Amino acid sequence: MIKLTQIKKSFGRHQVLKGIDLTVEKGQVVAILGPSGSGKTTLLRCMNYLERPSEGEITIDEFTLNCRRPSKSDIHELRKKSAMVFQQYNLFRHKTALENVMEGLVIVQKVPKEQARVRSIELLEKVGLGSKLDSYPSQLSGGQQQRVGIARALALNPKVILFDEPTSSLDPELVGEVLSVIRKIAKEGITMIIVTHEMGFAQEVAGHVIFIDDGVIVERGTPNELFGSPKEERTKQFLKRFTPDGVYSI
Amino acid sequence: MGQHQFEISYVFEYFVKLLPSLKITLLIVFSSIVIGVVVGLLVALPRLYRIPILQRLAGIYVSFFRGTPILIQLFLFYYGMPELFKVIGIDISRIPALYFVILAYALHSGAYISEMIRGAVAAVDRGQVEAAYAMGMSGFQAFSRIVLPQATAISIPVFANLVIGNLKDTSLAFSLGIMEMSGTARTIGALSQRFVEIYLALAILYLLISLALQKLFIHFERRLYRHEADAIASKREPRRGRRSFFRKLGPVTELPGKEARL
Ligand SMILES: Nc1ncnc2c1ncn2[C@@H]1O[C@H](COP(=O)(O)OP(=O)(O)OP(=O)(O)O)[C@@H](O)[C@H]1O
Ligand SMILES: [Mg+2]
Repeated sequence: MIKLTQIKKSFGRHQVLKGIDLTVEKGQVVAILGPSGSGKTTLLRCMNYLERPSEGEITIDEFTLNCRRPSKSDIHELRKKSAMVFQQYNLFRHKTALENVMEGLVIVQKVPKEQARVRSIELLEKVGLGSKLDSYPSQLSGGQQQRVGIARALALNPKVILFDEPTSSLDPELVGEVLSVIRKIAKEGITMIIVTHEMGFAQEVAGHVIFIDDGVIVERGTPNELFGSPKEERTKQFLKRFTPDGVYSI
Repeated sequence: MGQHQFEISYVFEYFVKLLPSLKITLLIVFSSIVIGVVVGLLVALPRLYRIPILQRLAGIYVSFFRGTPILIQLFLFYYGMPELFKVIGIDISRIPALYFVILAYALHSGAYISEMIRGAVAAVDRGQVEAAYAMGMSGFQAFSRIVLPQATAISIPVFANLVIGNLKDTSLAFSLGIMEMSGTARTIGALSQRFVEIYLALAILYLLISLALQKLFIHFERRLYRHEADAIASKREPRRGRRSFFRKLGPVTELPGKEARL
C-alpha cells in the first residue's frame, strides 16, 4: 500500500536519510523510534513532500512519485493521499475547531458545506470534542488542540495518517487523552505511521516497529521482537535509556 | 506672531471655514492608501516569493520611497513626470497637480505597506502553511485562506499608524498649491494674520480625524482578532487600570479587552 524506495535526503552536505526502504500494508500501524536527530521527522515529512527528498521513490495507494523531477500536480496528488498530525498541532488559529476540520473537506475535496459540517461534527464528537465545536485554538488546551488535529486528519479520509510525535508537546496529564484517541482509531483499521517516544504506547498500539538511527533503518520487527529481544547493539543501547534494567516488560 | 490679541471665538470660526477643505485631504488620504495597498501587495509578493529580478526592483523602489523625504518626492513627481513623458512625446503638463500628489503619496505609502505586508506574512506561523499543504491545498489556497486573513489581523496596528502618518503628511501638499486643510489654513492665516487661531483650529481638526481613524481601526482589530480572544484578554489584564481617555490616545497596538468582545 505504501512503499518507500531508497529515500535519501541531504541538508547541504549533511546526509540525514541514507536510503530508506519501507513497506507498510493497508491497516497497519507502524511506530518509528530512534534517537533525537536520527531523521524520523525528516522521513515522515518526505512522505508528503513537505520535505523534498534528494532521491528515491514514494508510492501510496498505487500512485508513484519519483523524487527526481516531480510535477506540481504529482506532489499535489501525493499529498491528497495522506494526512498529517503535527507535534505543534498547527491548527489554523483564525478558525474554530469545526472550521478547522471542515476546511480540507470544503476547499480541497469540494464537499458541499452542509455535508462537510455534518461529517466534521461527527468526527469532533468521536474525539470527545462535541462541546467545543465553536472554540478557537487559543481557547483549547494542548490535548484538545491535538484531538482537533486528529479529527482534521481523519476528515480527509486519507490512505494513511502520519503522526510526528503527537504527544511530545503536551503536559504529561494531557498525553493520555490523545493516546486513547489514537488507540481508538487504530482499532478501526486506519493505516498509520507514528513517530513517537512513548515506548509503552508504541508497544501496545503498533503492529510493526522500526528503529532508525543516523539516517538508516537499523532494525524492524513486531513489538515483541524489537522490545523483547533486539538484535542490534544500537537498538539495545537506545532501549536501555528508556528501561534502565535493559529488559522491556511485555 | 500675529498682530492681533488671541481670541478663542476665531478658533471656532476658522474651524468651520476649514471644513470644506477636509474633503480634499480625505480624498488624498483615501485614494493614495487604496492605491498604496495594491502597489504594496504587488511589491511585497516578489520579495516574499523571492522572484529573482523583480525582487531586486522591489527592493530599490522601497529604499527610494522610504529613504527620501516626501516633500522631495512630491516635487520630483510634479516637475519630473511631465519631463519624462515629454521624452516619449506625451504632454501631461495640463493634468491637475492633485493627481501627481495622489500618485506620490500612493507610491510613498506603497513602500511602507509592502514592508508591512512582508512582516505580517512572515509573522504567520509556518506550521499552519505546512498543515495546509499537507491537506492538499495549493499555494494560492494556503495563502488566501490561511496566511492572508491572519496577516491582515496582524497588520492592523501598523496599518493604522501608516494611515494616520499619511494624513499628517498630506499637510505638505500645499507646497504644490493644493488647497487641502493646511493649504487653506495658510491662506486664511495670510489674510487675517490670526496665525495662532487658525493653526489651533487646524491642529484640532487633524487630531479629531486621527482619533476617529484610531477608533475605526481598533474596531477592526477587535473583529479580526476574535480568535485570539482569551490570549489577548489575559495579556491585557494588568493594564486594566488605565483611564479610557489615555487608552484612546494611546497607540492602536493596544489590544482590546475581553469585556468588549463578549
Ligand atoms: N531544515 C533543515 N535544515 C538543515 N538541517 C536540518 C533541517 N531539518 C532537519 N535537519 C537536520 O536533520 C537531522 C534529522 O532531523 P530530524 O528532525 O529528522 O530528527 P528527528 O529524528 O525527528 O529528531 P527528534 O527526535 O529530535 O525530533 C538533524 O541533524 C537536523 O539537525
Ligand atoms: Mg522529530
